[in-house]
Amino acid sequence: MTAVEAVALRRTYDLGRGRGGGQREVVALHALDFRVDEGTVHGLLGPNGAGKTTLCKILATVLLPTSGGVRVFGNDVVSRTRQVRQSVGVVFGGERGLYSRLTARQNLHYWCALYGLPRRALLARTEMLLARVGLSERSDEKVDGFSRGMKQRLHLARGLVGDPRLLLLDEPTTGMDPVAARDFRLLVAELRAEGRTILLTTHDMAEAEAVCDRVTLIDGGRALATEHPRALGALVSRNERIEFDSPTADALPGLPALPGVVAVTTLSPGRYRVETTATEATKAVIGLLLDRGATSLTTTRPGLEEVYLKLIGNRGMEVGR
Amino acid sequence: MSALVQSLRVVGYSARNAAADFAATYTWRSWTFGWVGRMLSQVVFFTLAGRVLGAPDQARSRFIGNAVMTCVVEAMMVVASSVWERRAGTLPLLVASPADLAPVFFGRSLQWIASGVATSSIALLALGPLFGIDWTAVQIPAVVLLQLLTAVGSYCFGLVLGVLVLNAPQLRNIASNVAYLAMMSFCGIQVPVDYWPAPIRLLAAVLPVTYGVRAMTALSAGGPAGAVWRPAAAVLLLGAGWLAAAFVAFRVFAERGRRDGSLEFGQ
Repeated sequence: MTAVEAVALRRTYDLGRGRGGGQREVVALHALDFRVDEGTVHGLLGPNGAGKTTLCKILATVLLPTSGGVRVFGNDVVSRTRQVRQSVGVVFGGERGLYSRLTARQNLHYWCALYGLPRRALLARTEMLLARVGLSERSDEKVDGFSRGMKQRLHLARGLVGDPRLLLLDEPTTGMDPVAARDFRLLVAELRAEGRTILLTTHDMAEAEAVCDRVTLIDGGRALATEHPRALGALVSRNERIEFDSPTADALPGLPALPGVVAVTTLSPGRYRVETTATEATKAVIGLLLDRGATSLTTTRPGLEEVYLKLIGNRGMEVGR
Repeated sequence: MSALVQSLRVVGYSARNAAADFAATYTWRSWTFGWVGRMLSQVVFFTLAGRVLGAPDQARSRFIGNAVMTCVVEAMMVVASSVWERRAGTLPLLVASPADLAPVFFGRSLQWIASGVATSSIALLALGPLFGIDWTAVQIPAVVLLQLLTAVGSYCFGLVLGVLVLNAPQLRNIASNVAYLAMMSFCGIQVPVDYWPAPIRLLAAVLPVTYGVRAMTALSAGGPAGAVWRPAAAVLLLGAGWLAAAFVAFRVFAERGRRDGSLEFGQ
C-alpha cells in the first residue's frame, strides 16, 4: 500500500507586494510528484530551502498545498484532515516542542490526552514509550534539565503517543552526539520493523544510507531522483571502483592499460582508485594488485554524499529559494 | 468518549501545565509579598485617590471596583501566556494533533484565575473593613463565587485577544495591558459607566467585569437578591459568549495558519 502519494504538489509563500506593486511569491514545492511505500523508511535529502520541511508540514496538516494533491494512507490532507492527523506523528529536531516545566511523564500524559487516549491506555502508553526511549529512570525529572539527546528521545516518544502509521522525522538528530544519534537510528529501525512508515528529512548522508530503504533527492521544490541509497550511485557512475594502498606506487604500472579499466586516480598520497566497466575487469585488477603487494583493498560504489554533490551541486553556504 | 468529556480531559491535562508554570513563576513568599502586596497597594491607592480628589462618596464603589479588578487583571494575563505556546515550539504540534485548540488554551492559563480569585478575595475580605465594608459569614461564599464568575468571564474574553496576538507575539503584553486599563476606565471601576459616551458604554456592556462589579456592589450593600444574581447571570452569559467566540477564533487561526504558512516547526 502507498503511505504517501503527492501528485503535482505545489506550495508557494506570499511575500507581499514588491516595489512595482506586483505580488511576490516564493515557490517552495514545484509540481512535486512523490511517493512513499508503506512500511519503509524513506529519506528526503536536500539543501536548506529545498522544500523538505514544507513537504513535512503539508503531510502533518499544518500547511495547505497551493495546488496539487497529497494523500496519506488514501486520505486527502485537505478534505480528510482529522483522519490524517490520527495516522501521523511528527518529530522535529532541536530543543523546542516540549513543555520544559513538566516532567517527561507529564509531557507524555498531556499529549496522550490530546490524542484522546482513555486514562488506562494513557498510563500504559506513557510507561511503554518512556521505557522504549530509555527515559524511565528520568521520567519524573523536569525536561528543563534534560540533555539534548534526552530531549530528542522524548520528542520521539511524543511523536509516537498516537500510535502513528506514518512518522515524520524532520532532521531529528540535529545536535545529537554520535552515540545518541546511533541509538536514535536503532530506534528508527525498530519502528520500521513494526511496520511503521517513516519519512526522514536529513542532511546527514551517513544517516540516510544507514536507515533508509529509499531516498529522494529534492532541490528547488522538485524531486531530482528517488532510489535505494546504494542504487543512487549508478546515477553518478555505473563503474565499479577498487580503492587500495600502495605507499611506493609499485602497484600502478600498467593498470590503465588493462582491459575494462577506465580511470586510475590518486585519492591521497599512497591511496589510489581504479574504475572499471565490468566485474571481470574488477577481478583482473584485484588479482594484479594482490600480486603486487597492494593493501587495504576495497570495492566501492559512489556514496550518497557524492551523488548529492553531483546532482545538487556544492553550494557552500548558499540557501536555495 | 463524548466530545465534551474529551474536551474537559484536555482542559484538565492542560491545567497541569498551567500549575507547573505558576510554580515556576512564584514561590509562596514572592506571590504573597510580591504579587498580592502589589495588587493590594493598587486597590488602596485608587480608593484613597478617590477620597483625596474630593469624591469620598465614591470610595466605596472605587474600592469594590478595584478589588474585583485585581482578579480581572490577572485573568487577562491569558493574553500573554497564550503566546507561550509559540515560544515553546508546541503550536504546530498542537495544530497537528486531533484535539481542538480551544480546550488546550482554555486549560493552559487557568493558574491566573486561581491566583486572581485568591488575590481579589484577600483584597475584598481583608481590606474591606478598612473602607467601611463588612461582610457577613453568609456573604463570603457569594463574594468568592462572584469573583470566580468575573474572572472566568474576563478570561474567556482574554482568550479571544490571545488568539489575535498569537499572530503578533510582540504585542502580547501591550494587548493585555491596554485591555485591562480600558476595562478599569470604561467598566465602572474608576468612574461610573454613565460618564462615557454611548459607543464606549456599548463596549462596557459586552465586558463581563462591568456586571461583576455591579453584582459585587449590590452584594456589599446588602441589596435585594435580584440586584446580585441578574448581573451575575449577565457575567455568565457574556463569558459563555466569549468562550464560544474563542472556539471559533482558534479554528479560524489554525486554518489561516495552514493557508499562509505561519505555523513553523519549532515555533
